Amino acid sequence: MSKQAKIAQQFARQLFKLSVADGAVSAERVGGVLAYVEKNRPANPVMVLRAYHRLVATELAKSVAVVEHAGVVDDALLATIAASMSKKYGRPVAASGRPNASLLAGLRVRVGDDVYESSVAGQLSALASAV
Amino acid sequence: MSQAPGILEASYDRAFTGLSQARAAFAPHLALREVGFITGVSTGIATVSGLPGLGFEELVRFPGGLLGIAFNVDEEEVGVVLLGEYQDLHAGAEVERTGRVMDIVVGEGLLGRVIDPLGKPLDGRGKVASDRRLPVERPAPPIMDRVPVVVPLQTGLKVVDALIPVGRGQRELILGDRQTGKTAIAIDTILNQRGKDVVCVYCAIGQRAAAVAKVVANLSEKGAMAYTVVVVAEGNDAPGLAYIAPYAATSIAEYFMEAGRDVLVVYDDLTHHARAYRELSLLLRRPPGREAFPGDIFYIHSRLLERATHLRPESGGGSLTALPIIETEAQDISAYIPTNLISITDGQIYLSPTLFELGNLPAVDVGKSVSRVGGAAQRAAYRAVAGDLKLAYSQFEELEAFSKFGIRLDKASQQIIDHGKRIRACLKQSESQPVSMHEQIAVLLALTAGLFDRVPLEKVAAAEMALRKAASDIPAEVVERLTSADKLSDPDRKAILDAASRALAAFLPAPEPAPPAKPAK
Repeated sequence: MSKQAKIAQQFARQLFKLSVADGAVSAERVGGVLAYVEKNRPANPVMVLRAYHRLVATELAKSVAVVEHAGVVDDALLATIAASMSKKYGRPVAASGRPNASLLAGLRVRVGDDVYESSVAGQLSALASAV
Repeated sequence: MSQAPGILEASYDRAFTGLSQARAAFAPHLALREVGFITGVSTGIATVSGLPGLGFEELVRFPGGLLGIAFNVDEEEVGVVLLGEYQDLHAGAEVERTGRVMDIVVGEGLLGRVIDPLGKPLDGRGKVASDRRLPVERPAPPIMDRVPVVVPLQTGLKVVDALIPVGRGQRELILGDRQTGKTAIAIDTILNQRGKDVVCVYCAIGQRAAAVAKVVANLSEKGAMAYTVVVVAEGNDAPGLAYIAPYAATSIAEYFMEAGRDVLVVYDDLTHHARAYRELSLLLRRPPGREAFPGDIFYIHSRLLERATHLRPESGGGSLTALPIIETEAQDISAYIPTNLISITDGQIYLSPTLFELGNLPAVDVGKSVSRVGGAAQRAAYRAVAGDLKLAYSQFEELEAFSKFGIRLDKASQQIIDHGKRIRACLKQSESQPVSMHEQIAVLLALTAGLFDRVPLEKVAAAEMALRKAASDIPAEVVERLTSADKLSDPDRKAILDAASRALAAFLPAPEPAPPAKPAK
């Protein structure tokens, strides 16, 4: 990693810390940070904003459980998943459904970098590894 | 033709039985995986984002089952060394943590097998029959578990066993320019371990596939594969595989050492290993140092070779002897990697291209070769001759250089040169023909006693062969004493020299006829 990229990343991390309120990314603070960056252009602004965007997106992804499903998933099930994930991670987690026919049947839930696999496709893949 | 349906049916039955067993044993459950994404792929390297909990040197799994080792673990991005074909990888593909470090299958089932550094068989003989695995990176045995090197490891090469002896647990570097016979020395040492209860591991790093095939064929032909494991990272493999190959080979060897056995590991060669590591480091944007090698190039070799040792009896008593090989360029042994390895190891065997061109094989340059700890491990019978032999040989080399200028030499100097030429002729040895210990001692004793000095130079090779044949008649109890006694006794020395004199008598020039007596006046 170049020295410029390192400096940009450090600055983006400082901006990201300013964007968090009560353990969660605040839209209001993000707006404030962006206004500050626009007014006081840092060195390598594109690099800084790209790193800042990645940090915010990663953090936001931790608050959303993306539920991929091959069959029908109703709102009640999504609410149950959201509740159990919120309890597990100790922070509010919203659930969002996304149809994925390649799973064949069942669910795959992604919260940030964690993936909970209970789909038929995932189990077949595990079975293939076992064979 | 009528048998075909039956054969097909049987193979289907076998396949479905295997599937049924796997299905019965398989218990589906909600599995938690930690995943990240590929952000970039270059030669042998992938950068990955996500995976915040990933540890240093942890294995990650890419699509298609490809494995990689986390090398550069940054907060934002991880640099992963890929351990296989990476042409199908693309940015955005999912990467999964495995929660384990790189390991390799170990055990008796590996003997006679040819595997890659991941433990996959390359010999077409199916899966390796062993359930035991060991991490490829393991700490070296602690100081208190080690004992000094005192037991010799016979290489079967006269020049090495007499002048640069190797002990069990020693690290002896073999270095020289390309095509000077480095691999031949290592292979001859492996061949000489036949029937000596020494397990051998030959690790080919970045070698041409044809060269490795030749080595494997040679080992098989001479019956050495029964006690040998061959670990191969070919020249066209990913640099990650070349990097882990010697560590994997050492873990395989350590399994046997910890079981109390003596093991010999050959790393052929660490120049390719260093280059693979340099390639990976540069791609990972680590700061380059001398010759563009990264700062920890010394450490990667020292931590590998520190794993070679002789364990104390309470820890099993096994030993791991390492023969790393290094290729020099234009005889420059002061280049970066050779000097590193020279300082890490307990001595070096230097092969001279000049000697090779002159046909003095093995082309060991005795003056530039040394064994720092092997002398203590050398058997008494060798010690009895080694000092005189080395002195006589170095005097000869010095005088030989002068004699090339056409200087007229005195009789004593001429004798030294004649004696040295015979030493050189006797130390010559063909490839893949290791010489047993008592044959070596018979030849060396005869040499130092000057028994060869009257043999015409052109007949020395034949005389040496005859002497070796005669040495097989040395009584078994004398051979036993040569192996175990602390000192070469005078009666044993006399018995060997008598046998040698008898064997060499046929090669001595016929005595000149006495001049006819003058008639009396």
